[in-house]
Amino acid sequence: MKEPTEEAIEALLREEFVGPVPDGGFTDSVMARVPTSRARSSWPTLAGVGAGTAACWASLWSAPFTQTGWRDLASGYPTVAAVVLLSAMTGMAILAMAWSVAEADVEFR
Amino acid sequence: MTDQRAAPDVDKALVARILLSGDRRAFELLVRRHQGMVRAQLRRLAKGDDARADDLAQEVFLLAWRKLHQFRGEARFATWLYRIAYSCFLQAQRKQPAVVATIEAEDPPTPTTPPETIELKVDIERAMRRLSDAERVVLVHTVQLGLSHEEAAYVLAMPLGTVKSHARRGKDRLRGLLAEWQLPSQQDKRP
Repeated sequence: MKEPTEEAIEALLREEFVGPVPDGGFTDSVMARVPTSRARSSWPTLAGVGAGTAACWASLWSAPFTQTGWRDLASGYPTVAAVVLLSAMTGMAILAMAWSVAEADVEFR
Repeated sequence: MTDQRAAPDVDKALVARILLSGDRRAFELLVRRHQGMVRAQLRRLAKGDDARADDLAQEVFLLAWRKLHQFRGEARFATWLYRIAYSCFLQAQRKQPAVVATIEAEDPPTPTTPPETIELKVDIERAMRRLSDAERVVLVHTVQLGLSHEEAAYVLAMPLGTVKSHARRGKDRLRGLLAEWQLPSQQDKRP
């Protein structure tokens, strides 16, 4: 049960609230900015990422430097080629992580 | 006049149409139905910076369009929009803190308004600004926008108990700040 003063405070606050704002062209300006199609399909992005990764892998795999680096890395020798390869992989992983964090969207449920 | 009890069903039907066929006309109806209160909410949060509040409101509806598939219908559509609006406001606040407008600049008294009404309005506005942000925000949502404590907790992403204690403390502080207006006797004057 509310006290009389509490009800009086609420009544004052409600009186002070001016209520809904008249439209005044607001809806039209929102609709002018709303994209024509609601959901973008994600398959072109995924296909692009897949194709890019495959092309990158194919061109690097045939290079002797990559093969040497990979072999040294697998056998645990820290040669220049192995370190360069490891640095490149780490750099790409960090970039991918930063991009994912930047693109991450808040969910509203 | 729209039946208030049917409003959530109408909103859900419009949302379903948009999700099913991307119906822009249905979304336009949703914007028309809710823009007034969302803008009012943001104007209260922006402390009188109406232009900034309206810019944010546009972002809210654009975000709602993109995120509509996330609306599960557990809350009212209006409450879901308030939640997005509050989140957008907080993000904007972090980037660029609001400049508090003066009361006089925001609401010039009209000659027809009785002087004591103007004074009371100004005093309430001043008293509201002396509350903590959390108390003010909770009172705006629970009293002025008419949300239940549960709905306010959802919108503000606060535990229910915190919402209730901020509401209680906010009202207590307002009672103290507005003591000279003799609140209980005002209550007696009401029919």
